[in-house]
Amino acid sequence: MKKWIVVLLAALFITLVFAPAAFAESAPPADFKIGSFTQVDAASHTATFVPSETGELTTVTIDESIKPEDIKLDDKAMVSFSNTEGSEAVSEITPMFLGLTRDKLIALLIVGLIGGLLSGFIGSGGAFVLTPAMMSLGAPGAVAVASNMCHKFPKAMVGAYKRFRYGQVDVKLGLVLAVSSIVGVQVGFQIQKWILDSWGSAGSDLYVSFVFVIILLVVGLIVFRDALTMSKGDEEAKTPKLALRLQKIQLPPMIHFKKADVVISAWVTFPVGFFTGLLAATIAVGGFVGVPGMVYVIGATAMVASATELLIAFVMGMWGSVQWAMAGLVDVRLVLIILATSLVGVQLGALGTTYVRDHTIKLVMGTVMIIVAVSRGVKIPVYLDHLGIISLDKSLAGTLDAISFWSLIAALLVAGGIISAAMIKGIVRSRIEEKEAAVAGRV
Amino acid sequence: MSKTVKKKPYLRALLLGVISAASYAYLFTHVNLVMEYFVKGGWYAALPILTALYFSIVHGSFASTMLSILGLQAARGTGH
Repeated sequence: MKKWIVVLLAALFITLVFAPAAFAESAPPADFKIGSFTQVDAASHTATFVPSETGELTTVTIDESIKPEDIKLDDKAMVSFSNTEGSEAVSEITPMFLGLTRDKLIALLIVGLIGGLLSGFIGSGGAFVLTPAMMSLGAPGAVAVASNMCHKFPKAMVGAYKRFRYGQVDVKLGLVLAVSSIVGVQVGFQIQKWILDSWGSAGSDLYVSFVFVIILLVVGLIVFRDALTMSKGDEEAKTPKLALRLQKIQLPPMIHFKKADVVISAWVTFPVGFFTGLLAATIAVGGFVGVPGMVYVIGATAMVASATELLIAFVMGMWGSVQWAMAGLVDVRLVLIILATSLVGVQLGALGTTYVRDHTIKLVMGTVMIIVAVSRGVKIPVYLDHLGIISLDKSLAGTLDAISFWSLIAALLVAGGIISAAMIKGIVRSRIEEKEAAVAGRV
Repeated sequence: MSKTVKKKPYLRALLLGVISAASYAYLFTHVNLVMEYFVKGGWYAALPILTALYFSIVHGSFASTMLSILGLQAARGTGH
């Protein structure tokens, strides 16, 4: 077996053995039970609850804050318990599965299609809008995250396969980065937990948004500027200066990535993977760091980097999905509805890359990153309000929420528009060239 | 340059389309039973994961075949 495969497997084994409680992209909550209520006694504020896991009837006390008449019988729900003065009481009931109306179905199918297109084209994306979209349709946050991840890994698998067929995936680079990402995820998850313990959920939201906005804005602007320079000068991808300098570091072990056409020290690739994982665990958009990392630090083209990212997304997504599915949080209906169109989108996006040049991929990526950063940025005052640092009018907070959500949709539409336009232009040009070649052949 | 005309894979698309549609129909007509077991957690986690993989293979192949019937194929000389 090749040396690097042995090293990878060993690293993966050590990671899994020593950190069994870590999860890709944030952890499933632990303090809840999934089940349904069969009977409610309003007079004594108690109810009969059947947890899905055991199926045993149990009588539980309902907290004063919950009105017994609001409890829907026989519907699956996520139930949180609070322990006050030694007695356990139901403190929160969230309906587990949203009712699927025609409008919700159409919304999920459209977001799935464009999200898939984006993902196939730039290697990531779609996830940033799917989770909030599912939540705004009524899915609990944890179910939205779980279902999104469970849809992401098979979609990434199909996209990675397609782009592998087009000769764009560097499998070795993907696996090396995926394993180092997993290490980053462990650390990121611990940081996240520490922040949550120290400052609570609003503090954690604020931290996440702050890191999110800064990183996405900075990296997004670099990618965007690079795309503009390349498109104006009509030049093909040049290896960035930083990557060239780092490639000169001859610190063993040196790894040769054939498809990316790079020989570079593992001491450079490890931090790239590590930070991708770290950010995946904290801000849930690892791909937005992974692809620029591969381009500007390692020196791969945007074409190879975005294709390789799909392989990383598959490995990481599958690993994360197992954790979330073990917590029983995946709504398979949502997963399959989104997959119905995102599997079409991801293949369209993948074949779209064969008609464009590197700068178009960078243009789409930079644009999406900047809009997504702004979308998250406008929510910062809301979190500051939750922390009591500033006081925000309720209607203004609602407006900011709406701006944030709709700018995500705008990001998706803008990206979908650029990709479609570039693809149609490429296909038309290639057909004209084929016809001309055929005519020339006949003459 | 001579252009070879490939036969369009109608039969393959039809077959995969029927399998995919039937799988979707089966799952959504038995949704209560499915949701009962798929959220039990623990080892039952294999159910949603394998279902997602199954659909991505069947429906993904169907989508791929449909795209090639529609004439949407990768540019020639791909292999950047």
